[in-house]
Amino acid sequence: MSALVAAEPAVRPQPVRSETAAPMPRPASNPGLAALGLFLRNPSGLLGLAILTGLLFAALAGPHLYGVDPFEIVGAPFQPPGGDPVLGTDYLGQDILAALLQGGRATLLVGFSAALLTVVIGVTFGALAGFFGGRVDAALMKVTEFFQVLPTLLFAMVLVTLFGQRIVITTIAIGIVSWPPTARLTRAEFLRLRGLDFVKAARAAGAGPFYLIGRVILPNAAPPIVVSATLAIGTAVLFEGALSFLGLGDPNVMSWGLMIGQNRAYALEAWWTVLLPGAAIFLAVLGVSLVGDAVNDAVNPRLRKRS
Amino acid sequence: MTTSTAPAPIGADLLQVNDLKVHFPVPGGGRVHAVDGVSFVVRRGASFGIVGESGSGKSTTAQGIMRLVPATAGQVVLRGEDILGVRGARLRQARRHIQMVFQDPFASLDPRRCAGDLVAEPLRLLEGLSRRQAAARLDALFAAVGLPADARSLFPHQFSGGQRQRLCIARALATGPDIIVCDEAVSALDVAIQAQILNLLAKLQAERGLAYIFISHDLGVVQHLCDEVAVMYLGRIVEQAPTRTFFSAPHHPYSWSLISAAVPAGPARDAFKARYLVRGEPPSPIDPPAGCRFAGRCPFAVERCRAEDPALLATGPGHYVACHRVGEIEAPDFDRAQAA
Amino acid sequence: MAPVLAVEDLTVTLTRPGGPVPVLERLSFSVEAGRTVALVGESGCGKSMTALAIMDLLPEGFARAGGRVLLAGEDIAAAKPARLRALRGSAMSMIFQEPMTALNPVYTVGDQIAEALRLHQRLGRRAALERALAMLRAVQIPAAERRLHAYPHELSGGMRQRVMIAMALACRPKLLIADEPTTALDVTVQAQVFDLLKALQDEMGTAIVLITHDLAAVADIADTVAVLYAGRCIEQGDSRSVMRAPQHPYTRGLMGCTPHLRLGAAADAGVGTLREIPGLVPPLGRRPAICAFADRCGRADATCLDNPQPALTEAGPARAVACWHPEARAA
Repeated sequence: MSALVAAEPAVRPQPVRSETAAPMPRPASNPGLAALGLFLRNPSGLLGLAILTGLLFAALAGPHLYGVDPFEIVGAPFQPPGGDPVLGTDYLGQDILAALLQGGRATLLVGFSAALLTVVIGVTFGALAGFFGGRVDAALMKVTEFFQVLPTLLFAMVLVTLFGQRIVITTIAIGIVSWPPTARLTRAEFLRLRGLDFVKAARAAGAGPFYLIGRVILPNAAPPIVVSATLAIGTAVLFEGALSFLGLGDPNVMSWGLMIGQNRAYALEAWWTVLLPGAAIFLAVLGVSLVGDAVNDAVNPRLRKRS
Repeated sequence: MTTSTAPAPIGADLLQVNDLKVHFPVPGGGRVHAVDGVSFVVRRGASFGIVGESGSGKSTTAQGIMRLVPATAGQVVLRGEDILGVRGARLRQARRHIQMVFQDPFASLDPRRCAGDLVAEPLRLLEGLSRRQAAARLDALFAAVGLPADARSLFPHQFSGGQRQRLCIARALATGPDIIVCDEAVSALDVAIQAQILNLLAKLQAERGLAYIFISHDLGVVQHLCDEVAVMYLGRIVEQAPTRTFFSAPHHPYSWSLISAAVPAGPARDAFKARYLVRGEPPSPIDPPAGCRFAGRCPFAVERCRAEDPALLATGPGHYVACHRVGEIEAPDFDRAQAA
Repeated sequence: MAPVLAVEDLTVTLTRPGGPVPVLERLSFSVEAGRTVALVGESGCGKSMTALAIMDLLPEGFARAGGRVLLAGEDIAAAKPARLRALRGSAMSMIFQEPMTALNPVYTVGDQIAEALRLHQRLGRRAALERALAMLRAVQIPAAERRLHAYPHELSGGMRQRVMIAMALACRPKLLIADEPTTALDVTVQAQVFDLLKALQDEMGTAIVLITHDLAAVADIADTVAVLYAGRCIEQGDSRSVMRAPQHPYTRGLMGCTPHLRLGAAADAGVGTLREIPGLVPPLGRRPAICAFADRCGRADATCLDNPQPALTEAGPARAVACWHPEARAA
């Protein structure tokens, strides 16, 4: 009987009879860790990460290091960069560097929170629709379609106008208008995964619907969702910029969008008042996109080699 | 018909499937009668084999019993309780006693969870054990299926196909079930590995008094492992018998066809195939015709077969056949096939 | 008569960081017109790589590192890409295991069969479709006229594999490579597909390379057999004779671990445990320099462990085996 038990010794060191006896596989090559390793070897992803880290650091630590109130009038308006306030002043004579540092906080905060909101709503709708199918799916997808056909910017403007020009409202408005693509993506992944054998196997092992959704299917559906969430940050930053540009930003909170919006009339005479916050937005979106692409590359060749 | 060297002692009824039906609506009207009135009994410690071709409903029967697809009608009585109707805690209780192993060990393990988590999952879900309590049982489970205990931190892709199937078996064994449903559990494996897994299943059965429902298209494997065999065709059992009876004197023309396709090569096989191997493929199980479902391909069909649905009737101890022409047509000479 | 296909000392390697890893080592076999050779072995033994190497369709990373593949005397490796494309599909063609994924879902089966004919034989659309219809009839597809305009998903598995065979044989190739052609099919359909292949082979004189893990299939249709283990041929010969008296312990093991059907009175015989081959095929890159089967072999002794891989040597009429201690008894 012992021969029955001692079979297939690939993961156990065999009695060493040949010089190249099969070594133990590396312990615990977690698929997630493997993806992280791939990400860390991707130069453009690292560049994106460096850009984002730099922007975050500037936004978080900058205002403490450069203690100028962005709303304070520090000198004559339209001073070009290179002078006393090192990046010049805007149409009111406010310090542009101080505004950039302070505004980064708001813009990035809106970007990350709105993206989070997008993912939470989108994944919830998509997961429930894809998992339960049938009438649940039909109902949830009707709602999704409704939100998808609304002109997003216009709808966000309506929400901000109705509920007030506050940064929280802006964030929620952006989240509410941008979740449908995430929901569709999640639903498609759930539809694909829910029929697979390992999901059936989990059901046979006693898993209930919410365990299946959260513990079994979602982790396997995560890679494309993570990629889309990363890219959603960039979209949210752009959105915030657009709303502020249209004069619908929170006037009491400095943000990059607000800077562009307030100075847009003088863009030709004092280019730096618009170009500098624009460059900041550009950098943030570029950073996010580079990271998103690298995450995509890292998680897509899933479990590359089976043998 | 049974000989004195009876198979391993077999106990009382463990699982009864009564008139199980699984129908699916198809887009555009009509219903797939995937399983259409299947009844059988599995006894404690025994192996019940179901053979048939794709579309015969054998896998759907398994999934219906496991409640992975909703049954349209019928009962699945496990330890005296119809498990098709139960929910919640009662369902979890029932699931501890009946577990399943799937065909493709590459697809039936969640690629993102490590082996230990996967084997512990039924314990945590069905017995409500904590992570630590479940982990304490892993060593014994891994040992039972011939995997080293330190394999628990590995991920499925680090195992070979046979080792993955061992993991699936460990997972199925975790809650100490009375019966395991094996749906083509060795079909995806290389022959050498297949033998290892079949021997493991036999060993576990002998040690633990497990019963199996063993679904396979491979008659040789079924003969090797099972005490009883049922042949399914288009959602129905057309013949059922103790394994020895079945392979010494099968009665249904469809059984003859399956066997003639599996006879070892040689002149006897050619003669066999010419006479008994049916041509073509099973018709669609969407709205099957009246009469015997095999009539369209059966070389022995007469008018009555096309008009009247044959019932599954006893022809000997434990031997049931659904064919109007039992006894009317001469059975193949299987001794001759064996000699060749 | 010169063989249709002669594979001589074929070696295929996989490029890996750290140097090339042998996948297939010094494989030689040949097959004549109207004959069938079977390549048998477990997954990972290199049998599918052999097929791809013959077609010169090795996947990225794999390369032919030695040996020759002669198709009717013409060296495939020396052929220019245009010549290779002309050979593929007309002089040699291939059928795959999974007919659903090997057929293009957006074209009708008639169009797909006709495509090869138009490409290689410069037939017009109408003539090609007529030939396609004749092929569908030849592979015994019922209601062939109607099926000509069917899409792959409208056909059953067995029907699709028949379509694959019709496509592969449409240009009457000299060589057909069949890679596990019946593995995805039901047993009764399998038997029909093998019968069909045999009938078409008799009619067209095609040489067939059958790649399979199924020894029953070998006995059924192969004239000669080569058993592969870890990228090397370990036993070769007339298929009847190999099946009757395998000399390599691995071949013996493979035969012993398949449950054989016992019918009639024999069905009463008791069931023992199946013989099994312990362990696994050594993975790529970890093949030992000694006999690769030694650590799974019950007969291995000091000779096997201390000497390099035994060469394939003649062992009886039209037989060869690579083993230090070949079995002499019948199975």
